[in-house]
Amino acid sequence: MTLMSVEQLTKTYQSTNVVDNISFTLEPGKCVALLGPNGAGKTTTLRMLAGFIKPTSGTINFSEENFKKDVRNYVGYLPQFPVFHNWMTGEEFLIYVGQLSHLSKQEAKARAHELLELVNLIDARKQRISKYSGGMKQRLGIAQALIHHPKLIILDEPVSALDPIGRREVLNLIRELKKDATILFSTHILNDAEEISEEILLLHHGKMIKQGSIEEVSDSQDTVSIRLAFSEEPKFIEERLKEIDSVFKVVRQEHGFIITVHDLNAARNQLLDTIKNEDWQLTKFEVAKSSLEDIFMKAVTE
Amino acid sequence: MQWTTIFKKELLENWRNFKWIWVPIVFILFAIMDPLTAYFLPRILETVGGLPEGATIDFPMPSVAEAMMMSFNQLGMIGVLITIVISMGLVSSELKSGVYELILSKPVSYTNYITAKFTSILLLVSVALLASILVAWYYINILFGSISFTQILISTFFFIIYFMLILGIVMLFNTFFKSQGMVAFLSIVTIIAINAITSIYSHVLTWSPGLISDYIGVYFYSGEIETETWFSLAIAIILTIICLMIAITTLKNRAIE
Amino acid sequence: MDSQLIQLLLPIIILQFILIIIALIDLKRVEATRGPKWLWVLIIILGNLAGPIIYFIIGRRP
Repeated sequence: MTLMSVEQLTKTYQSTNVVDNISFTLEPGKCVALLGPNGAGKTTTLRMLAGFIKPTSGTINFSEENFKKDVRNYVGYLPQFPVFHNWMTGEEFLIYVGQLSHLSKQEAKARAHELLELVNLIDARKQRISKYSGGMKQRLGIAQALIHHPKLIILDEPVSALDPIGRREVLNLIRELKKDATILFSTHILNDAEEISEEILLLHHGKMIKQGSIEEVSDSQDTVSIRLAFSEEPKFIEERLKEIDSVFKVVRQEHGFIITVHDLNAARNQLLDTIKNEDWQLTKFEVAKSSLEDIFMKAVTE
Repeated sequence: MQWTTIFKKELLENWRNFKWIWVPIVFILFAIMDPLTAYFLPRILETVGGLPEGATIDFPMPSVAEAMMMSFNQLGMIGVLITIVISMGLVSSELKSGVYELILSKPVSYTNYITAKFTSILLLVSVALLASILVAWYYINILFGSISFTQILISTFFFIIYFMLILGIVMLFNTFFKSQGMVAFLSIVTIIAINAITSIYSHVLTWSPGLISDYIGVYFYSGEIETETWFSLAIAIILTIICLMIAITTLKNRAIE
Repeated sequence: MDSQLIQLLLPIIILQFILIIIALIDLKRVEATRGPKWLWVLIIILGNLAGPIIYFIIGRRP
């Protein structure tokens, strides 16, 4: 069962492909991060998925029984820089967008109240939005995206503009939302992706360069890193480490070394043997899965 | 339902920013300004004095129809300018601020969006026109003599149709540009162009909406509605609809940056 | 004769007064104006009919 399937999606502005032939599927209940540096085409992709800009080519299929032709009925969208009617109160604005989304006035009111509770704006509901702080506006932005019980929630850089506290609040909120909706959010910050998403889509220059669960993406690397640290650094250790056949690369760090290997098992045995034989005072031996950052940097600089 | 939501939101916005108060007041003040001045001018000059002994000034008192047309002409100038100014940001400011992106992510129909906004501002302008013309009529009745109420209502209705076309033009430019200044400038240029072309070729273009205020004048002076009036009104309505249709299509195909 | 003049002008004065008042209320409420607020107070009060109109048209910063 797939919620949304995207095939060969392309958007061309002035003969450059901002989004270039990307395909993927979104499974219900998953939280997916769309990752990429600034200008990778994330916002354009999200806007096409949210149904308000048309792709140059490619298809977006939304699977839904009794699908009413406008995908916007099923998608909640938070722009990167949400702007509201500042003369309205938070509550008025939610009721307004609720009614725009075909809720009745009563439904919209009830739902607005529910969401104001959820995003912790219930005390500020009668204040004009112009008086809201950045974090409050972002939370109101999330609330408006949820107003019509969307099947898919699309958030464009939901936390990048926030201070640490605001960021924490919004991340917790997203974790809460994961329980009953599918979430697709974009970010250029790897930690956020690692922290709350199960899957990542890595976009660079409009192309999809990696996709899958965090484990898959990490495992697909052909190298593994091992971190070593010693209480007292043995002489010529760097040279000795490099002599071991399974070791591919040695990088000195402030506290020890990072060793890159291809075959983990062979390397582990050979390394531990050497350490034991030489009686080096080992304090740390850590097999590190390559972090998302390594993958990101590798993919982007390639 | 969705249409009503947008329509009501516009009404509320114009209430909160006092447009519902200041626009009618300004219209009223400008509508009565000229007839009042015309009436009191001889007396003001007498009081101020400065005229040589024995000199008599003989200002002909305007007729009722002339006085009424003073109000209409003033509204045709200042009223049109204010109408343009209060509607120049209806869509363009939402495009510019970015609130449009948020609204657009909801299942909003472009037709509802444009026509609801258009109707709410048309309602405001119509109320301002009706109020100002009624007040002017009241004053003119006292100062210059009577004129029939039906005539006033009918000519106000004609004038509202003319203003409707102006709002249609402003709406159209609203979807072209994000800059309110640009919207206002091109709207004014277009309206001046329509009036200029109409007055140059007035013998050929008898159906031009630019002649609506002239036909209102004819109606006041003669008491008869010329047949051409109906045609120019029909053209104004058709042009308004065309403007709105183009506006809707433009918005639909507009790329968001 | 002069009482007629006053009767005719009184409504106008009241309307102008309302215009000035709502412009000042609005000025107090809005967060930002183009240019300093005290300058707008002067324009609204001393600018005759044009003062409040100019304020409503260009004074408020969106």
